[in-house]
Amino acid sequence: MIHDYLILSVILFCLGILGVITRRNVFTVFMSIELMLNAANLAFIVFSRVHESMDGHVLAMMVMAVAAAEAALALAVVILLHKHKGKLDTNVFSLLKG
Amino acid sequence: MFAEVLFIAFAALSVLGAMGLILFRHPMKGAMSLIVTMISLAGLYALLSAKLIFVLQLIVYAGAIMSLILFIIMFLNIQDNDLPVEEGRFLYLAGGIAVIIPIASFLIKIVNGLPDSQVTIVGNGFGGVKEVGLILFQDWLLPFEIVSLLLLVALIGAVVLAGKRRLVK
Amino acid sequence: MEHSANYLGLIPLLPLTGALVIGLLHMMTCTGKPLPEKLYSTLACIGPLLSFFMALVVFFHLRDMAPEDRFLSHIAFTWFAIGDLHVDMGFLADPLSALMLIFVSFIGSLIHIYSIGYMAGDENYGKFFAYLNLFLGSMLILVLGNGPVVMFVGWEGVGLCSYLLISFYTKDTDNVLAGNKAFIVNRIGDLGFVLGMSFLFWAIGSGGFDYLSLKENTHLLTPGIGFAVCLLLFVGACGKSAQIPLYVWLPDAMAGPTPVSALIHAATMVTAGVYMVARFSFIYAHVPAAGTIVAWVGILTALLSAIFGMFQKDIKKILAYSTVSQLGYMFAGVGLAAYSAGIFHVFTHAFFKALLFLGAGSVIYALHHQQDIWKMGGLKKKMPTTYATMLIGALALAGCPPFSGFFSKDEILFSALASGHPGIWFIGVTVAGMTAYYTFRMIFLVFHGKPRDQEAYDHAHEPPPVMTVPLIILAAGAAFAGVLNLPGIFGGHMSVSHWLAPSLVEHHPHASVWVELFAMLASIAAVVVGITIAYKKFSQGAEEPVFTGFAKFGYHKFYVDEIYNAVFVQPYKAIGSLISRIFEPNVTDIHVKLSTWIYKKCGKGFKVLQVGYVRVYAIYMVIGLSLMSFFLSQSIN
Repeated sequence: MIHDYLILSVILFCLGILGVITRRNVFTVFMSIELMLNAANLAFIVFSRVHESMDGHVLAMMVMAVAAAEAALALAVVILLHKHKGKLDTNVFSLLKG
Repeated sequence: MFAEVLFIAFAALSVLGAMGLILFRHPMKGAMSLIVTMISLAGLYALLSAKLIFVLQLIVYAGAIMSLILFIIMFLNIQDNDLPVEEGRFLYLAGGIAVIIPIASFLIKIVNGLPDSQVTIVGNGFGGVKEVGLILFQDWLLPFEIVSLLLLVALIGAVVLAGKRRLVK
Repeated sequence: MEHSANYLGLIPLLPLTGALVIGLLHMMTCTGKPLPEKLYSTLACIGPLLSFFMALVVFFHLRDMAPEDRFLSHIAFTWFAIGDLHVDMGFLADPLSALMLIFVSFIGSLIHIYSIGYMAGDENYGKFFAYLNLFLGSMLILVLGNGPVVMFVGWEGVGLCSYLLISFYTKDTDNVLAGNKAFIVNRIGDLGFVLGMSFLFWAIGSGGFDYLSLKENTHLLTPGIGFAVCLLLFVGACGKSAQIPLYVWLPDAMAGPTPVSALIHAATMVTAGVYMVARFSFIYAHVPAAGTIVAWVGILTALLSAIFGMFQKDIKKILAYSTVSQLGYMFAGVGLAAYSAGIFHVFTHAFFKALLFLGAGSVIYALHHQQDIWKMGGLKKKMPTTYATMLIGALALAGCPPFSGFFSKDEILFSALASGHPGIWFIGVTVAGMTAYYTFRMIFLVFHGKPRDQEAYDHAHEPPPVMTVPLIILAAGAAFAGVLNLPGIFGGHMSVSHWLAPSLVEHHPHASVWVELFAMLASIAAVVVGITIAYKKFSQGAEEPVFTGFAKFGYHKFYVDEIYNAVFVQPYKAIGSLISRIFEPNVTDIHVKLSTWIYKKCGKGFKVLQVGYVRVYAIYMVIGLSLMSFFLSQSIN
């Protein structure tokens, strides 16, 4: 029972990683990160349920808050980048290239 | 029995949504499928008797954050030719899965190593607003305050970043 | 029996703090508008003056104790301890260091005050005083150190400061070269000092490496090692105190500002070697053969530099050679185990040499940096104070009774005769005559006769009081300091010798009064002859002679600089350039070049991985995680 939930969490997390490393669309990458956060949240809630302590719930709330903050900032950055380059391709942003 | 059926349904939906996210080319469709994942996760939380988190997942995640993302996607008015050309997308995906599998198998191995306790029935109060609130404002007060600071910083940052009237191409 | 005195550490610390403060102030303002000179000069003079007062406190403190108990010590902190070697940053004041302390800080303070006038208007006014304070502080550490290692700190400090100050006018390449020369020659001496110190530690250092413990363990020293230690330490003293063969830097050190020359020659630097030999008197007394070598080297140096001094035409070079010559006397004294005589000569010499240099500085100042004595003349009327004080200094230097130089020099010559070294005595008397000759040659040419450069003469004037007052004070010292050690023959008590007795290991040779009287009369006769010849030749406006024969040889300093240059410097440079051209690029650098080549190639190789896309870096990370997971999942089952 617990294993099923946790395996689901692992699957979602890995799908998130997959999205980050294979896609070039900024929005998709960003939403994949949100997916990974959700997978982690699921694990928190499951463990919280198993141990019958509600600390995991609190942590999940914190993760949500962080996700909200991240969303605000990341979307601001996406808007800026879009203004700047007119594209949503992560490969356009290659200033790190020496 | 009923709970297990629900679990299978929600789990299948959430995985489908996640796969949709990484497979759809247009971010709008991806966002829609992510909302499916979020809502089914909310259902799973409800199954785990996390009442407050269930509500928050619906309101904050599926509601606020996702609508913000959708709003921005629509605001930018993304056309098909704006999207990056991802020709070898499926090749990439195949490679990505090959890289991910060891990680996934490792994590699953660890999960399987945990004791699989049967879930007991919890009391009425578990996961309610009052109980979680008490813990939040007693044991977790300092982290809570720090998170509020973080939100403030993010707010200011977002204003500074996006608020500038810069060159528009 | 030792007494502790916490304030000992403050004595060197005060000038050092002054140096730090002035240096920082100067550094912060050297690009912008400079701070007022008054600020610098006040700050600079506080430290030395306070040190001088504290030196007096030390002196009276010591005087109130029983003669055999006269030790004040203060251990500030443990500097380092490695195995047997345990070195404290400690200070020791006994009669010897107290005497040194008093005159070093006194003359140092006077020179600081004099410099206020001499350096006025210089753009690096602050820098000069910072160095001057540092110089004095280093010398005080040298004098106060309670062991060879602490002494070495001050030893190196004065070496550094002499370098900085000799090349103070950095715009002229010659000055910088002179500074380099002083530094390098000193370095050769320092090598001797370090080796001597190491030998000493190796032989008897295990019981503690400060003077008192070493003194207790001297009897463990075998004669061979003692001899080596003495000679090596003397090499160090040769470098610092300008003895054969390392004297060549001192005449060139005249490139610095004149107060610096005065400080180097009188108070701070060159006396360090003599002080060191006296400080290690317990070892030198153990090995009399080494002492004899020291004495002979000293007296030969005295002779050689007196010959050079007779033919120089630069007023400061004459004084420089006279310093080398007087230092030779001092080494003759300490070498013959007449330590108190040697130290007493250091003491009196400090007064009259500082006086002569500062007087020469006044002359140079008045004549707008003219240093050639053949372009001076007749300044007696224009600069009466300078003339009078310099005359006193010259009489003291020449060793004319009753001025201070007479008593101290006579003491040394007497001990040479009494201890059975008539050769040294004879050369000493000859040198005394020569000293009188060249000193008065300078005095007559500068102050008597007719002006040789009318224009410069017309502009000459007495310097401001801030410069003349130190001259007068020093003149009083030069005239009367000899009274402090009046020998019994004049009804005195040899007070300085008795004062120094607890610090030194010396045996006074006993000789009859007639020998003493004979020595005295002989040196007076030599002095009179020297002055008379000088008077005959130069008092009535002599013209610059063209040197021929031996005189030319002497004027060119026996071509010693050229010989050193040809024998040491040029081969050394040739070897250096050979190494830098052939050995270094092909042998030592090859590893360096190879490794840089490898790194460059690797860098080029790895550059391919640095694509600049964040996503790709994420892929690398995930691949790493994946590999880690793979290996970790092998281990758990």
